[in-house]
Amino acid sequence: MELLQDLLTTFNFIVQGLWVTVSVTAVALTVGLAIGLVMAVARVYGHPALQLAASAYSVVVRAAPVIVIIFILFFVISRYVNLPPFWAGALALGFASGAYQTEIFRGALQAVQPGQMIAARAIGMSRLQAIQSIVLPQALRLALPAWGNEATLVLKDSTLVFAVGVPEVLRRAQQVSARTFEPFLAFGVALLLYLALTLITTQALRWLERRYRLQI
Amino acid sequence: MTSPILRIEDVHKSYGALQVLKGVSLTVQPREVVVLVGPSGSGKSTLLRCINLLNPPTKGRIWLEDQEITAPGVNQDRVRQRIGMVFQEFNLFTHLTALGNVMIGLVKVRKMRKNEARDLAMFELERVGLADRAHYYPAQLSGGQKQRVAIARALGMDPHIMLFDEPTSALDPELTGEVLAVMQKLASEGMTMIVVSHEIGFARQVADRIVFMEGGVVVEEGTPQQMFEQPVHERTRAFLRNITR
Repeated sequence: MELLQDLLTTFNFIVQGLWVTVSVTAVALTVGLAIGLVMAVARVYGHPALQLAASAYSVVVRAAPVIVIIFILFFVISRYVNLPPFWAGALALGFASGAYQTEIFRGALQAVQPGQMIAARAIGMSRLQAIQSIVLPQALRLALPAWGNEATLVLKDSTLVFAVGVPEVLRRAQQVSARTFEPFLAFGVALLLYLALTLITTQALRWLERRYRLQI
Repeated sequence: MTSPILRIEDVHKSYGALQVLKGVSLTVQPREVVVLVGPSGSGKSTLLRCINLLNPPTKGRIWLEDQEITAPGVNQDRVRQRIGMVFQEFNLFTHLTALGNVMIGLVKVRKMRKNEARDLAMFELERVGLADRAHYYPAQLSGGQKQRVAIARALGMDPHIMLFDEPTSALDPELTGEVLAVMQKLASEGMTMIVVSHEIGFARQVADRIVFMEGGVVVEEGTPQQMFEQPVHERTRAFLRNITR
């Protein structure tokens, strides 16, 4: 009975961080999506200088540990602009994820048959129109499985914002464990919450994949 | 004598050191059907891609109606709207239905309203006999049906001239007939067409003129009768004998 009571209090405390975890992940994925799409289009269709800039971003950011990027935003950038820990963490994660998403979308753009672009140009579309209306919609569908994988990775990387004091699931679990000396219970609950979030995310993305599957 | 719809003057095209077109000149009259024949690598497809500026010529000039389309500063997207192109591999947009394939150019390029575009797209699909397949995706259509949708997509842009790049070469033999029938109907409606094809029956019946290319130049041209019965050049004779056999 006491165990159940402990479990409930522990759960109630940690679950308050769920919304923070979800928000950090959603912001990071959205920022990463915007960066990734722009960079991938620049990589594949951009002016050579733009291609170089985009691949430099991708190489440098993928080489940097995510935690280092978070620290740079939190300790360095936030000296010049007012960045609360939540935003420093979420934006840093998005910036990092953007590099991986760049690679995902680059591969997808390159996997679209060249004939699609040619046919779009042949009916009088500009390059930009062809990218927007023909190539990107197909590339997004091709990218979905890899993007879903990236989403689960970002979800787990969201634990890193713990280091700058954002009260997300892991941080709250650690707080509980420090108070109750029941690390197994605390981290067990955290683990289950991540498991639940991952399952929901993968199911949602699988549904999207089925809904928008390209028939070739 | 009417003024020509298309005038090609001394067009060259090279890819690095590789010279594909070595000075092609050709004039096409309105409503004329020209069939381009020649061995592979002779530059037929390259010539079509030069005409609609997908691969602009490295040298030479092309006029479409009164406009020199190879002149600097020409809006190439506008030019391509007036030139329909049908590809050997169909190149239908895989994420769109048959109807969507025809509509998207109407909406994005001709800036038509959705309803209007849908009506016109349905009309074009009817023209190629595929109104009942409007909501099928390319993957659900046969090769012949795909090619007819591709023709409808090109027609939707209201082209002044249509280019066909081996439109039946990727099709099973029993499916070529339906595509050729659509093309024949277009020709009889007065569409100006340049067709790269080795379909001899089509060339004999529909072509006003046959142009034989080899090695990046036009070797000989004439009416189907002249070309099939008394070609002047030995190379023309040998090639046509080969493909008619």
